[in-house]
Amino acid sequence: MDFVLQSVLNGILAGCIYALFAMGLTLIYGVLNFVNFAHGELIMWGAYFLYLLMEKPLSLPISLALPPALFLTILLGIGIDQFVFKPLRRANRLTLLIAALGLSFFLRNGAQFFWGAEIRTYGFEIKRGMRFLGVSITFNQIAIILTSILCILFLYLLFHRSRIGKSMRAVSDHLELARVVGIDTKRTIRIAWIISALLAGVGGILLALDTNLQPGMGLINLVKAFAATLLGGVGNFWGAFWGGILIGLAENLGVLVISPGYKDAIAFGIMVLMLLIRPATLLGSEESS
Amino acid sequence: MRKLTCLIIFLGILMHFSISSGTAQETYRIGAAFALSGSIAVYGEGFKKAVDLAVEEINAAGGIKGKKIEIMYEDNKSTAKDCVTAVRKLITVDKVPVIFGPAASSNFMAAAPVAQESKVVMISAEGAAPGLTKAGEYIFRVFPSDVLQGKGISDLCVRLNYKEVPIMYVNNDWGLGLKNVFVENFKKAGGKVTDEIPYDEGKTDYRTELIRATKGNPPATVNLTYIKEGAVMFKQGYEMGIKTQWICGSAAKAPKLVELAGKAIEGIIGTYPVFSQETKEYKAFRAAWKKKYGDEKIPIFGEYNYDMVFLTAKAIEKGGYTSEGIRKALFEVGKGYRGVTGDKTFDQDRGVGSEYGVWTVKDAQIVDYK
Repeated sequence: MDFVLQSVLNGILAGCIYALFAMGLTLIYGVLNFVNFAHGELIMWGAYFLYLLMEKPLSLPISLALPPALFLTILLGIGIDQFVFKPLRRANRLTLLIAALGLSFFLRNGAQFFWGAEIRTYGFEIKRGMRFLGVSITFNQIAIILTSILCILFLYLLFHRSRIGKSMRAVSDHLELARVVGIDTKRTIRIAWIISALLAGVGGILLALDTNLQPGMGLINLVKAFAATLLGGVGNFWGAFWGGILIGLAENLGVLVISPGYKDAIAFGIMVLMLLIRPATLLGSEESS
Repeated sequence: MRKLTCLIIFLGILMHFSISSGTAQETYRIGAAFALSGSIAVYGEGFKKAVDLAVEEINAAGGIKGKKIEIMYEDNKSTAKDCVTAVRKLITVDKVPVIFGPAASSNFMAAAPVAQESKVVMISAEGAAPGLTKAGEYIFRVFPSDVLQGKGISDLCVRLNYKEVPIMYVNNDWGLGLKNVFVENFKKAGGKVTDEIPYDEGKTDYRTELIRATKGNPPATVNLTYIKEGAVMFKQGYEMGIKTQWICGSAAKAPKLVELAGKAIEGIIGTYPVFSQETKEYKAFRAAWKKKYGDEKIPIFGEYNYDMVFLTAKAIEKGGYTSEGIRKALFEVGKGYRGVTGDKTFDQDRGVGSEYGVWTVKDAQIVDYK
């Protein structure tokens, strides 16, 4: 096995997962100007919805269970906005932050209530990866990479080539002004939540297929996704994508040199550095809101 | 106000009863702060059955110098806080000189200082944490410490002729403690630890750590893991085509791991504390269990609880019904004592030794390694 090449691949894989989550985070940030700390729980619930449909009594095959699972995740995303964030639309950022944190606990404990804290799997058989150039990769891992690329292309086209995307950007720039010029801001915000929840659901399911299901699965990856978001500049999709990949690579290659006990320190180190060097990415948008 | 008065009167009556029964002293009373409700109550019930069986046998044989023993059960609700409350109640209200402590090392260790300060003997039949008896000279265990397991894993590596191994471990008190004991013993035995890889609990991606550990394709890798982390790791290692002989401790020996990791853990081996089920002591215990409870479903650690009661009874007989007497006598009665779980000689840390067996996974079943 080629250790460096395998580490690069592992880095890209981890990076793609971070990127998928970071894109959903950055989308909500872009449109509503707050960090949705409950995004990790959307990810987790997406994975658990699929589990629910694939287990007894329904026992659906994955191809049939996937669309309704994603649909349920989207419904949850819309529900979150409707019942928690919509009433707080004019609240200050601190209130929104605390609401998101509270919601995160609520949703995580909710999943724990229904399924318990133990780990679960979808029950697929484990396979050895295919081998190319001394590197092994599983079918599922190829799916992760392709899905993230598709998602970023989809977002790019949506934002730069469609009316919805333009209205989202307008809402992001100035909510009141967008409303004044006749943009249906409610619809725009709803679409942003739908896409964000969809990205979370897809990412969560891919992550669970690659590893296992557990109530904390979203949270552990969210912090990395947040670092990726900062790295790429908040509200910037390509930035979120490359930020995710970069953090994944930095972690995986860094560990070949330093002790893996400090793996997380790499991601957080990058995050702290970004906050110190480029605080404008965060504060800049605060000024405009 | 009247409600409050009623309550006070009621409590007064209640206390009167407990005190009056306490002054009678017709029996030797032993406290037991067991988990009878809460998250690990499922274990607590089993421990209680094992203790009850031992008590019944001792009393049937005439008790201790003609006096019967009686267990004062106190529910510790499976939380550290209520363990402290339960132990405190047993000491101050029931005034027992010896207590069977709570299960779960962390719960036991929370309550141990209370017993130590009050100079009351407290014994654990399930705690594995190396520092379990650290609180002081009144704290004992009849269950082997994880420290011994570190040596057991080292011995296993030597036995299988693995001279150079990397070690991966969960980055917490348990993992770090066990790792240190392993490294120390393995070096003493002439082995070489090529790399030490700590990893965090509860992550979803361990590929990096796995790559680092198996750099240079070591024939065997020691991995001190739990079920959750092990399931993710062995699966990801299998997918990456890592071929090494995984060697684990007893924490990974669980059907749940087999369920989660499937064929990725076929052939994995590990150590666990064992005692022979062929001894006359064990056979007698099993027969007695079947007679009392009508089945052979002996709960996990039930045997250790059973031994704990007998040791305590012997200590009371020898040293008298005082905590100081029991504390001193425990060493004497434990010396060379062959219980259901083997030799119960206490070492200077008031713990006991154990033999270690080796388990492996074959055809999705945990079996003894041969």
